[in-house]
Amino acid sequence: MISLEQYIAVSSLLFAIGFFGVLFRKNTLVIYMCLELMLNAANLALIAFSRYHGGMGGNLFVFFTITVAAAEVAVGLAIIVALFRKRQTVEVEELNELKN
Amino acid sequence: MSTEIFQKIAETNTWSWIAPELAMGVLALSLLVLEVILPKVAHGAIPRIAILGQLVILGYVVTGTCAGTFPAGEAFGGMLYFDGTGQLFRVFFLGASIFVSYLGMVSLDKRLLPQVEYFHILLVITAALMLLAQANHFVMLFVALETATVGFYILVSYFRHTTVSLEAGLKYLIMGALSSTILLFGIVLLYGAGSNPALAGSSQDSLNFGNLAGFLAANPDDTLGLIGMILVISGVAFKIGAFPFQIWIPDVYQGAPLPTTALLAVSSKAAGFAMLLSLSKVFSALGDWFYPLLSALAVLTILFGNFAALTQRNLKRVIGLSGVSHAGFLLIGVIAARTVDWASTAILFYLFAYLLASAAVFSVLVHLNKDDDSDLTLDDLGDLAKKNGFLGLGLAVGVGSLAGIPPLAGFIGKLLIFIAAFKAELYGLLGVAIVGVVVSIYYYFGILKSAFFDVWQFQADEEEAPTAIPGSALGFLGKLAIVIAIAGTLLLGFYQSPFSSWLVG
Repeated sequence: MISLEQYIAVSSLLFAIGFFGVLFRKNTLVIYMCLELMLNAANLALIAFSRYHGGMGGNLFVFFTITVAAAEVAVGLAIIVALFRKRQTVEVEELNELKN
Repeated sequence: MSTEIFQKIAETNTWSWIAPELAMGVLALSLLVLEVILPKVAHGAIPRIAILGQLVILGYVVTGTCAGTFPAGEAFGGMLYFDGTGQLFRVFFLGASIFVSYLGMVSLDKRLLPQVEYFHILLVITAALMLLAQANHFVMLFVALETATVGFYILVSYFRHTTVSLEAGLKYLIMGALSSTILLFGIVLLYGAGSNPALAGSSQDSLNFGNLAGFLAANPDDTLGLIGMILVISGVAFKIGAFPFQIWIPDVYQGAPLPTTALLAVSSKAAGFAMLLSLSKVFSALGDWFYPLLSALAVLTILFGNFAALTQRNLKRVIGLSGVSHAGFLLIGVIAARTVDWASTAILFYLFAYLLASAAVFSVLVHLNKDDDSDLTLDDLGDLAKKNGFLGLGLAVGVGSLAGIPPLAGFIGKLLIFIAAFKAELYGLLGVAIVGVVVSIYYYFGILKSAFFDVWQFQADEEEAPTAIPGSALGFLGKLAIVIAIAGTLLLGFYQSPFSSWLVG
């Protein structure tokens, strides 16, 4: 039997991997995948809490977060594609037109 | 499963209570329909219809509140909580949305871009923010916040033919999504803590603000709850642009279209404080951690915002960074609200003063003739006051109010916050805030200096130097917008009693 703590440990680990990925990776698409990883880490923790604490609230919340994540991806990829058409790059370091 | 529980839930679904938000949604959709059914020549009327519709909704909310017919209490099974503060935030977001609609009308007219979608998304964002201010449950809070945030991504990158707008959109997207996931993970941890049946005060519906506050009061040293609180506050700090979550502000403000910059500066910041005000009730049991955390944020935010703004030449970056310092002052208000009851009223007053001052400043900036408003610098103000005295006056009143010059509304707003901080014995924070105000006077007057005094330029540059359009071309709406902003700023500067009586009475 897997305990609640193990689920939460995995979920926290996924969240941390995603977080540091966002901070240190240079490719926008990879950053975006890391963000999705963080969202799914939250989903995993929600489901685990919901299962072990015996309530449906967490399960329901997951539907909302999945929907929100889908909306975010739709808009985000559109912006990335539009930017790639303009600049032919999605590397964060090369996106530096905004300066004082 | 019996249907009784559903009946019970449905009984609290008082749809008439959220009539303003529903009306905003209907208006947003009808704009899209109008674009399809109206002939092309009549499309120019759609932004006017949007503004008119919002004015009607604003009138409905204001008269309903003044007459006391708006109900108070929980609705939708505890998802929403209605009170005077929520009503005032409704008025605030509607007012901000009307003024951004006007800016959008002026700004989008100069470009060959689809216009209707801008107003559609703006209305949806405003409806979401109005619900956010009245959220009483973390699911409601998260969904409303995300509805607004996803809309913001689109509005920031709306000028998709320019690289700067797209780049700003991408930066906002990454930072915004990051902060949302941090907020979400915080909510999940709070849910996990509050739903643990082994602990006292736990509940099945632990994401409800009231239930969670009860749980935290029973277990103030729960580690999971504490980490959750810190993560949630980090997510909110991003919204208000508090240090160290302010790194997106200068770039995004600069690259976004001018109306969107105004919306970010006003509505997004106010949304963060609406959340903080309701969350401070939830986290009051964790006060030993919550308030020191906010104090540290406030100090760093005020210092960073003001000192970073000193070296900026780009107007939108200056406004963005000065907004960071305003967030710091407002944070002091939130901290003072722990012991001083009326501090939350002071916060709302400050927000309204900030709205009117920003309205004045942005209504002037939108009339400066420049193709690309992302590189609007101080030099571009030229001697605006000489070329168009009316615009100069608007800028002077707006910037003066932001700086806190008596007798303008911004001065009273700062004064109320400082008095609240003094009563709450936050002397250290007060000292930092006063240093911040003194520093801010320097860059605010830098803006006024370049608008009112001649800037020496090369002769060759003269033709390129953008000039303000003559007063006659401002149009009736343009003059009206600036007059309302100036009059409101002066009125709130002299006469504050109706404001406080609304909340108290």
